[in-house]
Amino acid sequence: MNSSSKSYGLIAEFTTAADILHAAQKVRDAGFSRWDVFTPFPIHGMDGAMGIRNSRVGWFSFLGGATGYTSGMLMVWYMNAYDYPIVIGGKPMFSPFYPFIPCFELTILLGAFGAVLGMMFLNRLPRLHHPLLKNRRFAQATHDKFFLVIECDDPKYSEIVTRKLLEATGSQHIELVED
Amino acid sequence: MSTAAIKVSAPPPELERIPLVENQRSPGWITDKVAGVIEGKTPVWWWCAFIPSLMLVTMLVAMILYLVTTGVGVWGLNHPVMWGWAIINFVWWIGIGHAGTLISAVLFLLRQRWRTSINRAAEAMTIFAVMCAGIYPVIHVGRVWFAWWLFPLPNSNSIWPQFRSPLMWDVFAVSTYFTVSLMFWYVGLIPDLAILRDRSTTKARQFIYGLFALGWTGSNRHWSNYEKAYLILAGLATPLVLSVHSTVSLDFSVSQLPGWHTTIFPPYFVAGAIYSGFGMVLTLMVPLRKMLKLEEIVTMRHIDLMCKVTLATGSIVGYAYIMEYFIAWYSGNPYERFTFWSRLFGKYWYGGWAMLVFNAVVPQVFWSKKVRHNLVAVFIVSILANIGMWFERFVIVVGSLYQDFVPGNWGYYKPTWVDVCTFLGTFGLFFTMFLLFIRFLPLIATSEVKGVTPQADPHHPLGGAKGKEVLHHAG
Amino acid sequence: MSTLSHSGGLPPLDLSRWSKVPGLLIGAGVVLCLIGALLNLKQFGYSWLLAFMFYLSLVLGSAFLVMMHHLFDASWSVGIRRFCEHLACLAFPWMAILFLPIALLAPKIYPWMSLDPAQDHDLAAKWPLFTKPGFYLAAVLCFGAWALFTSRLRYWSLKQDEDGAARCTYKLRFHSSWGIAAFAFTLTLAAIMWMKALQHQWFSTMYGVYYFAGSVWVALATAYAIAMILDRQGLIRDIMGAEQYYFLGSLMFAFTVFSAYIHFSQYFVIWNANMPEETFWYVLREKGSWFAVGLVLIFGHFLVPFLALLRINVKLMFKFMLPLCAWIGLMQYVDLSFNIMPVLHPNGVALQWVWLDAGCLALMGGVLAKVFVRDLNRHPAYPVKDPRLAEAMGLYPEVPKAMAEEELTQTGKLSGAQPHSRGGGR
Repeated sequence: MNSSSKSYGLIAEFTTAADILHAAQKVRDAGFSRWDVFTPFPIHGMDGAMGIRNSRVGWFSFLGGATGYTSGMLMVWYMNAYDYPIVIGGKPMFSPFYPFIPCFELTILLGAFGAVLGMMFLNRLPRLHHPLLKNRRFAQATHDKFFLVIECDDPKYSEIVTRKLLEATGSQHIELVED
Repeated sequence: MSTAAIKVSAPPPELERIPLVENQRSPGWITDKVAGVIEGKTPVWWWCAFIPSLMLVTMLVAMILYLVTTGVGVWGLNHPVMWGWAIINFVWWIGIGHAGTLISAVLFLLRQRWRTSINRAAEAMTIFAVMCAGIYPVIHVGRVWFAWWLFPLPNSNSIWPQFRSPLMWDVFAVSTYFTVSLMFWYVGLIPDLAILRDRSTTKARQFIYGLFALGWTGSNRHWSNYEKAYLILAGLATPLVLSVHSTVSLDFSVSQLPGWHTTIFPPYFVAGAIYSGFGMVLTLMVPLRKMLKLEEIVTMRHIDLMCKVTLATGSIVGYAYIMEYFIAWYSGNPYERFTFWSRLFGKYWYGGWAMLVFNAVVPQVFWSKKVRHNLVAVFIVSILANIGMWFERFVIVVGSLYQDFVPGNWGYYKPTWVDVCTFLGTFGLFFTMFLLFIRFLPLIATSEVKGVTPQADPHHPLGGAKGKEVLHHAG
Repeated sequence: MSTLSHSGGLPPLDLSRWSKVPGLLIGAGVVLCLIGALLNLKQFGYSWLLAFMFYLSLVLGSAFLVMMHHLFDASWSVGIRRFCEHLACLAFPWMAILFLPIALLAPKIYPWMSLDPAQDHDLAAKWPLFTKPGFYLAAVLCFGAWALFTSRLRYWSLKQDEDGAARCTYKLRFHSSWGIAAFAFTLTLAAIMWMKALQHQWFSTMYGVYYFAGSVWVALATAYAIAMILDRQGLIRDIMGAEQYYFLGSLMFAFTVFSAYIHFSQYFVIWNANMPEETFWYVLREKGSWFAVGLVLIFGHFLVPFLALLRINVKLMFKFMLPLCAWIGLMQYVDLSFNIMPVLHPNGVALQWVWLDAGCLALMGGVLAKVFVRDLNRHPAYPVKDPRLAEAMGLYPEVPKAMAEEELTQTGKLSGAQPHSRGGGR
């Protein structure tokens, strides 16, 4: 167990979407790297304000979909044209047409799994313990409040200067959260 | 025609848009309202609905046990109608599910922000409807202990399932549909489960909601990936929903039977499915919004828009009906012509007229704004839509089978009491699941509704933006 | 929103040297068509029919976009509405005039017209539609319906420009409502009578939907291209933002998938059922070089635009989208040619007559472009009093102050409250 005196980060509370957006822009420009914004709903334009790159979830999904389609075609070819061929309804043993639907469904299925599991992997979820979740005020982040957190591990972090920066963004409430 | 200083005036008052959440309610108010449904006391009407539903589930279990122990002879199936209520109900239930995916995926891709107030309940409806549908293919095979032959596993003679059969396509389509719908629903629920976790007053609630919320914090770095995943899921679910009912339609249309084999079947089935699904969403939401006092979140504008979708899809179905009759005549094929004549004037004439009137004619009343804003009328039309769509499947399945090419092969089909009780039992299953859902999970996608309020928009005055891009009323 | 516009800041292009193009097209087209008609009248009829069905799909697709705007009370399509109205209004009288050669040459073009119903069951079954009066009445019905709803839609739209009264909006919605039903049936009738009837023995319930899907597809591509040009000229710059182009691009993507779905479904159902009275249509189109055209359609009509439009950001890149729009137009033409030409040239594509196809295309295109540009210059480039104009431009209505403040104080109170407060925001 860590010593109980170690701090997690400075947390600043905001009440409107515009305030948190402007605060995020300031923190981004100040060059912090280990910081985040917590909002009850995604805010339009926040990714740009934080300088987050386009999410890479798409690649996971693409990989899943491609696997689904090829494995579907291979499966049908192996089962119906290679391992145990039977003539049915005068149809060819294999054709790209008749297996299209199962292959398409497998594309969708594995593509969807790719998207969801990729999202969880990139977000490092599930994570059932988080220092912020112990903070009573932070529970409002799922209600209607907006929070900006700068972690103590950030190389640019300094208790006094960072607090000043957050105060300058117009936060109503700034607090140090224990780890 | 310089547009350097373009002059824009607000729309005339009668054409102004009604906001998606009435009375400019704040995000906090919305959270309290939706979570209040779950956190408050269980209302009496909930028990009054839940207990009969649970009894019907018991009946469903009994009917299935009777069927499995005795054989499919307990149903009304007999030569020449070998597909009866089981397939009709399967298609009907799975069709109902389509509205949920349409609302959650297609409207999402089209950036129709009104979907947020109804998508959660509609998605839940999808999942429960697909569960009801999924029972039928399994039990109608007769010897259910061989149902695993449907999966791509070799049986004892190492024969594989053969993929030239549309029934195999169905297996893949329906199971994918169920899995992806469930995933989509769950991903949407994660932020809302976090809301319930953060508000919970008991350890048990906190633990269970917390477990399923996966430790969601609302981090924007998470939202970024989350929104992308949600977009991709929507993008995948859209072709999926088209493919599912198209595949169901192929069960019929790749055959050579008049009444089944026609090229318009795939899109026509999809339109019909969405039509019946929206009927069901309206049937559920019209009373629910009143009983749970959610009128400010599920507003008249939502009802109005859903009526319009019902009208649009009902009209597409009407077009398909007319095309079917027209091409039956155009083809000059006597069997085609006879089948379609029998639809309206044969032994099952009532089914043919019911589908025509309830699906293509009745929804036309939604052209009138007065009707769209009369909740009783909307409710009645939504019920008629579901009855009409059930009859459509009846006409297609039974109506095409009972009189085929050779008159010596003709017959008449009647369901038995087991058919009827099984169908009623699936209603019990559906409503039991739905009632449990509204009692324990947020039936409004809270974070999404909050996200479409003006308070969520950092460029809107209510979102805290100061003095720019604010349009003033002219005059 | 308007600041996101990609053309913002760039000076308008000098389009004056393009103004002669329609005239040149007409001139060249007349010469080529005359030579073609003298050399082979039947070939001329088919080439003319192909070009006509191509432009008709564009015109009808545009009418559909206009009606959808009114029926769904959309805001994103405000910017493209006016020129789509002009495109739709080409249906009458101009498309009707261009139909005259087909009307005159019909006995040469349509094999059924020279058959004896007493000898041909498929023809006898279609009495009275497949008779000469039936054919011409159907054409009158189609053009009559198109004349009525396209002219009403533009009339009330221009009326709306004057005062923006709600009455105009209601009128537009009314004409769209009966118009969409009339549209569905006349489009189907046109597709059947003018295209499917080339092989009157064949039948498919999907055929109207098939023609519809291609129509809207090519109309969306055209709308995107015209919007880009008008935007660049500064005519609709404030209304067309990234959002609007994204929507147009997304719909192009959706219709790429939709038309592929329709084509695939029709083929798949017929392939599986394998009944000779239907398969002969596709058997003919798998012979000779028509098989290659089929492959071009699978890859060019579906796969290329599908992959090209898959990424979100390309929907906003003009340099990328303009060639794609042209490609979509080309593919729609190839698709229609796949429907029409195998009847005349069952052994493969008739490359020796491509010049005549191009001539018909040029003549019609020139005439329609001239009319379109004239209409465009005569009226405002966008509906200046559309009730959804402000919304399309991303402007917000004024917030009722009292309500806003009350809500803000409520939020203020909530900030101090316990996170576990329950119900009603206590």
